[in-house]
Amino acid sequence: MSAEEMGKLTNRTRLVLAVSSVMFLAVLAISPFKDFRREWKQYKHSYLRFAQTRPDTKKLVADYRPDIDQIWLPGMNVVDRCTTCHYGITQASLADQSVPQPFRAHPPIPHNVRDWGCTICHRGQGPATEVAEAHKSTLAWEQPILPTRFIQASCGTCHYADLPQTPQLTRGRALLAGLNCQGCHRLPGVERPAMLAPDLTNVGTKVSREWIYKWLKEPRTIVDKDGNVTVNGYEAEDEPRMPKFRLTETELRGLSAYLSVQKAKAFVSYKLDARVVAAWTKNPELASQGELRFRQMFCSTCHSLAVTRAGETKLIGGDIGPELTKVGSKVNPDWLITWLRDPQGYLPHTRMPRYGWSDEDLFKVTRYIATKLTDPDLLTGVPQLGQPREDEIQLGRRLFLEKGCASCHVIEGLNPQKDFGPDLSAIGGKNTSELEFGASKIPHNLVSYIQAKLQDPASVNPAARMPQYNWNQPDLDAITTALLSMKGAPPTSALQNLVVPRKEVDFHPTGAFEEVYERYKCYSCHKFNGYGGDLAPDLTYEGSRAQRQWIVDFLKNPQTLRPTVVLRMPQFNMSGRDAATLADYMTMVLQHPAANPTAVDAKQFTLAMVALGKQLYEVKYQCQSCHTIGGTGGYVGPNLSNAGDWLTPAWIEAWLRNPQALVPDTIEPRRNFTADEVRALTAYLTTLRQSIKPQKTASTTAKHAATQGAGR
Amino acid sequence: MKFHVWFGALLLMTLAGAAACRKNAESAKADPLLSAYDTEADWNDAQHVVPLSFQQAQGKRIFYQQCVWCHADSTPAGPSNRSNLTPVPPLLNDRATLNAESDEYMQNIVALGGTAMGKSAMMPPYGRMLSAEEIRSVVAFTRAIAQPPYQPPARAESQYSAK
Repeated sequence: MSAEEMGKLTNRTRLVLAVSSVMFLAVLAISPFKDFRREWKQYKHSYLRFAQTRPDTKKLVADYRPDIDQIWLPGMNVVDRCTTCHYGITQASLADQSVPQPFRAHPPIPHNVRDWGCTICHRGQGPATEVAEAHKSTLAWEQPILPTRFIQASCGTCHYADLPQTPQLTRGRALLAGLNCQGCHRLPGVERPAMLAPDLTNVGTKVSREWIYKWLKEPRTIVDKDGNVTVNGYEAEDEPRMPKFRLTETELRGLSAYLSVQKAKAFVSYKLDARVVAAWTKNPELASQGELRFRQMFCSTCHSLAVTRAGETKLIGGDIGPELTKVGSKVNPDWLITWLRDPQGYLPHTRMPRYGWSDEDLFKVTRYIATKLTDPDLLTGVPQLGQPREDEIQLGRRLFLEKGCASCHVIEGLNPQKDFGPDLSAIGGKNTSELEFGASKIPHNLVSYIQAKLQDPASVNPAARMPQYNWNQPDLDAITTALLSMKGAPPTSALQNLVVPRKEVDFHPTGAFEEVYERYKCYSCHKFNGYGGDLAPDLTYEGSRAQRQWIVDFLKNPQTLRPTVVLRMPQFNMSGRDAATLADYMTMVLQHPAANPTAVDAKQFTLAMVALGKQLYEVKYQCQSCHTIGGTGGYVGPNLSNAGDWLTPAWIEAWLRNPQALVPDTIEPRRNFTADEVRALTAYLTTLRQSIKPQKTASTTAKHAATQGAGR
Repeated sequence: MKFHVWFGALLLMTLAGAAACRKNAESAKADPLLSAYDTEADWNDAQHVVPLSFQQAQGKRIFYQQCVWCHADSTPAGPSNRSNLTPVPPLLNDRATLNAESDEYMQNIVALGGTAMGKSAMMPPYGRMLSAEEIRSVVAFTRAIAQPPYQPPARAESQYSAK
């Protein structure tokens, strides 16, 4: 090319220049265009368009700003830009389900979004400004958003105490504790009780080697893969406390050999009175009389039995003690008598009360158990194991430690194991990169990991020592929620201040009351000052509620208070002295300040007040819809037929004014009674005594008239 | 002429490039049960599971504490008190009865009781025991399980749609 040609502007160079300058301009334009197209800006614009369609547009856009909106709480490590897109979150008028996300208002909760931010509860990435980065887990940002199904886990992160609003979390925590997960794992807020599983120091004196083999191979409680629970082949509801370990034949032989020689402290057989034995042995009614006593003592409040009714076999009874349908084929009969007389002599920590059995009762009931609660096929399929060999015993001893048995069971002379499994106190806050997924194909996130590990421990780690559980979906979700709530110690001091601790309660009475209270294990079922079981009524204020004589009579002969309750107070065969000790303590100590005994003077009640009270009860307020008096009425509240002998007037009066002040979670609605109405109703209820027959005809006619009158 | 073709092609490419830079918005349509706070099986058809919103889930909790004893045929404790009452209380999924009533009426009968609303005195008032929010959530739960869902009367259709 010549020199003059180079300086010449040809058409060709013109085109090249034009194209490249257009390209240059276009490339420059990409940046502002991309900025305009940012996801969050699109949501901001569509919020404005959306607000135009609402009747309260002005209010919705009053504080509108087109830039990024951020909640910054330095003390809590919160930088949440979620409200940039979720702009209507505090607008009450956008609460309706028809409002499209991300503009819908947050449902009303006790915490203000502006004070708490979003990620503290929902997880996810607060500073992110793109939908995917904020909600999902990426390589750089690992915490995905928490599925709403498990949101109660976030409540549990700070609220260590149980909340009424979080039933799923409460259930999950109860499962963790009830299934003895704390035997192997460290779990915050779940303490190791004195006894997790039976002490096996003397188990060889109680059961045979064959039974142990069978039990280890197939624990009595079995959950199939659909989560259906069976106990001894009968349908039940509770998860097993003894899980199924994956044991080989050699391991089964070794463990059964080792356990069957545990006879450190042989029990002393109790000799029943020879006259009793002689009088009853030949009696054909021995077993049926035994069954009658078994029922009269209400053993089924704690123990369940398989009962066949109308061709359908079901387990009926409580789950505090073991299921007993086939116990006659399990235990040594001599051991049984000794156990029933003094359970603490065999297992010092057992919750089984020491009953005042007579020799006659003991003989009848143990014969009934040994002859009727049996199953000749219980041990079929178990090979002849014979006498345990020394090498088997040694193997069993080693396995007992290696398999983690010693985490829950105690054998004297063996060191109890603690923290056999991994510490779970921070499991809920783990990042995805900290989890081992093994060869499994599950999605890589914390929720999937926890659920896979719970359902099949070997799926994520073939060498897992954790036993096999089977869950139904609600329980799996509940336990996942509880585990997700365990995020370890809060990272910042501002968060530490937010923790609502679990109230540790204990009740340590002393003196004569303590002796009786411990003997009958009242706390297994009843609560005292927040301590104890929840099977039976809370007795914290029993002294205010019940009259002393009624308490004594009830303890001596527990009777039906609530018709729908299946589990009843057992017959303790309590002596008059024990009953008086308990009743005196209750009336002196277990008092509620709101029920003031001097506020109500029962002597001032007049017949007119009683009549008015009866009318209020039957016509105006129709209390009979929930309460029964003399055979008619509802099943929801307690039977009031005996209210005059049972309840103190002060309690009735305080209860009518405000039931929740006395028992915060009672379902009796708080009414708006006038002072006169309270007095009249109290007067009427104090006249209700079982000794006096209620006038049947008069009351039913009145009620008939009442339903006619107020029916509609 | 050639210039226009070049220019047009370039413009298209630039636009396409810019469009490709924008990340696709999340469009995964998840299972409605996965984003639900809780679920309740339809009382008439256990296979049909109703997803519950936060408010309805709160209502479910209160229903199973307070209301289930008379407004369901089976209760956590076993038998129901419902057959014991005259007039028989409506089942909570009785849509013929309940969907005829407005939210406001439903809230009132829970808060003030049957007598105040001219119904049976056997329905006690809960206004001094449950908060207004709790009563609203119970009504919301009722609306969820009385299938098909309650349609509020005379409310303008939302003109806005996400798409």
